[in-house]
Amino acid sequence: MEELIQVKNLKKYFDTPRGKLHAVDDLSFTISHGQTLGVVGESGCGKSTLGRVIIRLLDPTDGTVLFEGKDITRSKDIKSLRRNLQMIFQDPYSSLNPRMSVSEIISEPLIVHHLCRGSAEIEARTRQLMDTVGLASRFINAYPHEMDGGRRQRIGIARALALNPKFIVCDEPVSALDVSIQAQILNLMQDLQESMGFTYMFITHNLSVVKHISTDIMVMYLGMMVEKCPADELFERTLHPYSKALLAAIPEPTLKKDRQAKLLRGEIVSPIEPKPGCRFAARCEFAGPACFERTPDLEEVLPGHYVACHRVNEINQL
Amino acid sequence: MSVKNPDMRPELLQVKDLVIQYETSDGIVKAVNGVNFSLREGETLGLVGETGAGKTTTALGIMRLVPDPPGRIVSGQVFFEGKDLLKENKVQMRAHRGKDISMIFQDPMTSLNPVLTVGDQIAEVVRIHEKLSRADAIKRAAEMLQIVGIPAERMNEYPHQFSGGMKQRVVIAIALACSPKLIIADEPTTALDVTIQAQVLDLIHNIQQKYQTGMLMITHDLGVVAEICSKVAIMYAGYIVEYGSIEDIFEDPRHPYTKGLFGALPNLKKKVHRLSPIDGMMPDPANLPQGCPFEPRCPHRTESCTQKVPEGIEVTPGHMVRCICCAQGGGK
Amino acid sequence: MSENIQIQARKRSQFIEVWRRLCRNRLAVLGMILLVVIVLVAIFADVIAPYPYDFQDYSSVFLGPCLQHPFGTDNFGRDIFSRVVYGTRISLRIAFISLAGSALVGCIVGAIAGFFGGIIDAIIMRFCDIMMAIPRMVMAISIATTLGPGLTNAMIAIAISSVPNFARVVRASTLTVKDQEYVEAAQSIGCSTARIIRKYIFPNILAPIIVQATLGVGTAIILAASLSFLGLGDPLVPEWGAMVSAARSYIRDYPHMIAFPGLAIMLSVLSLNLFGDGLRDALDPKLKK
Repeated sequence: MEELIQVKNLKKYFDTPRGKLHAVDDLSFTISHGQTLGVVGESGCGKSTLGRVIIRLLDPTDGTVLFEGKDITRSKDIKSLRRNLQMIFQDPYSSLNPRMSVSEIISEPLIVHHLCRGSAEIEARTRQLMDTVGLASRFINAYPHEMDGGRRQRIGIARALALNPKFIVCDEPVSALDVSIQAQILNLMQDLQESMGFTYMFITHNLSVVKHISTDIMVMYLGMMVEKCPADELFERTLHPYSKALLAAIPEPTLKKDRQAKLLRGEIVSPIEPKPGCRFAARCEFAGPACFERTPDLEEVLPGHYVACHRVNEINQL
Repeated sequence: MSVKNPDMRPELLQVKDLVIQYETSDGIVKAVNGVNFSLREGETLGLVGETGAGKTTTALGIMRLVPDPPGRIVSGQVFFEGKDLLKENKVQMRAHRGKDISMIFQDPMTSLNPVLTVGDQIAEVVRIHEKLSRADAIKRAAEMLQIVGIPAERMNEYPHQFSGGMKQRVVIAIALACSPKLIIADEPTTALDVTIQAQVLDLIHNIQQKYQTGMLMITHDLGVVAEICSKVAIMYAGYIVEYGSIEDIFEDPRHPYTKGLFGALPNLKKKVHRLSPIDGMMPDPANLPQGCPFEPRCPHRTESCTQKVPEGIEVTPGHMVRCICCAQGGGK
Repeated sequence: MSENIQIQARKRSQFIEVWRRLCRNRLAVLGMILLVVIVLVAIFADVIAPYPYDFQDYSSVFLGPCLQHPFGTDNFGRDIFSRVVYGTRISLRIAFISLAGSALVGCIVGAIAGFFGGIIDAIIMRFCDIMMAIPRMVMAISIATTLGPGLTNAMIAIAISSVPNFARVVRASTLTVKDQEYVEAAQSIGCSTARIIRKYIFPNILAPIIVQATLGVGTAIILAASLSFLGLGDPLVPEWGAMVSAARSYIRDYPHMIAFPGLAIMLSVLSLNLFGDGLRDALDPKLKK
């Protein structure tokens, strides 16, 4: 099986007092073995919800997720799913139980899944995991509050690795870290992928991070996929107007003589009971009448390059 | 109020040898260790550093808002328009805050009072510092909202009715309401999304250009610095390790830490297989090394680096580096 | 090696820090000392009391405080000092046992309500609201009268009437802890719900539970005394409330009979409240600078 994860028409709606919030709306895509799919979008675009629905931390409203060809959306045995589907969380401060020591946190999955016999084996495996993620063994009895953000995130990674998963959802794993530490963690995650063949879904709002680590990138806006293509392609040939605006908005650490004044108008709103039509239309400078009437379908505009935009050909003169 | 004379005193803000420490049960935390910089009218100085580098403490020191206890401004001078703020009494200082110097905080969600309308919050600042009637203050509030790009009709709404970016605009409106000469912005866009960040940065930049206010921009994001700053100070463990014009820092970085920061950033233009992080971590500010604070992480460290904290050296006019290597010509 | 020792030292420092903050609060220290004295008195009642609590000496009834009887004697010539000393044991036993019962039930019910939310939460909390709408004293009295007089029934009455307080505190704390990312992380590695509540939620809400329990002991002592005062306890044991009740017909002539047991109630409740308040401030430094 080439495709490790296949997502088909996945939907996740939340009930709110003002109606249904379409956090993830009809997404379909696949992730191949050993690849990294970067998911980019602003806060509230549904990217974190998507990651949680795929590994069944949340149940989907509709649609299916296939893992190695098997439908896992209806599976009752969630515990055995956890062996293969893991998650690294955003906030290294709140994702670790302050009352548990480093060894307790890392060995917890081993204990819960009865993977080791006897405490000696658990400790050996814990030390091995700490070594894998670059944590000195002197921290084995330390508590999270005694450690800095980078080391805490290493604990979170070790916990995710403990079960030898095949697929890991990384939810903004470096956005709470300082630049110099962020690079350490990104390198660690790349090394682990190369040596153990993990498949990642890397959720972030930081485009330069996602470009660095991903093989494919998916751009989300208000619960929908607006563009998906290989990582380099997105930066060389950005087709969707929202992706363009997102790219233009990144402050780059290089000197520019003149600032481009092309800013996106308005702000992202929450997709509660969205009307038909392109969800980006209200902020889009190219929006025409069709954009407000019909939701654009995702189309393969160029080989391997999917875009959901009515006017993509006109805008880009394809 | 003194007579303003910008020609005689071109420097708006001058910080000299500022030292701030916190006394905690774990010992004395040396948060700011002899910081020097200056700022002219209409200039933007970017104060860049990682968590715990002492950026925010420096800003609070200028405003004399360091929580005391446990914090204490140990020594140094902060000249604002030639007057040392550290020598002023509480009443004089209060008159400066919000009027001559105002501050924009990181989190717009918590820096607004949830039970007051945004209009009232802007009018409040105006009425404290300028003897205006209530009606005039409200009128000023409406003007300020329009300047930051919010329709004046929304002035009777409460903060929770605004989105994150809009709230930060309100915070900026409050900061600008008394036309301050200096704005201290502490990570004003960190909590915002990129597209909103771009809007807010653009707004800050335009306003600053229009009113020629001086601005101290605290951030960890070199990209933000490149967008709006004219001078940069790189802070590390309470020291300014490199200081110069934006061209100096971005085109000719000398200090190993500055270079490391640039190297650790994933680049949108260049494809690299691996990033080059800076090894190790920032030293504990309660337990700084004797020598150069960056020495334990520095790829170019020598025996002499451990001896004492290096002095700042001017490598080119206006470009200061705190590194022995640069003094010996080996910094390049 | 030295780093190992450092980490060990820091691990302990969490408790030391709480202890140090507690010691800085003079009233809390006073409460703590009083509490230790009271507990010691209860433990060593046999050694401290000069007479058995039921020893009647009809030759010396209604004696005022004197050398033989420091607190005087009552209408049966029993030594009030001995009875107050033995009463410490009874009051503390009632208070602690009933409190342990209500804490156990309250914690489980509150954690379930907070963790699962929705309809379960609504049912449990509305039930608690109904219970809290009835004054605790009235509630305890009605439970005790239904069950009949006796110490065990008094304990049950006190325990039941304190459950809603615990349930509310635990539910509120659970709600805040539940949304922490580490709870989600525990789900993601496959922990069962029971394990999540036990290992992830409970240890993190322990502080408010301890505080509630400390303050609750004081209330339980008062409730126990009140029930005994009303004749819903065991008339044979020297319970402080029962002593106050028995002495009230002699209050005009022999006020010492009512004063000393009353003082004992006041001091024990006061010490627990002072200690509980101090503990709350020490455990949650954000609350009070």
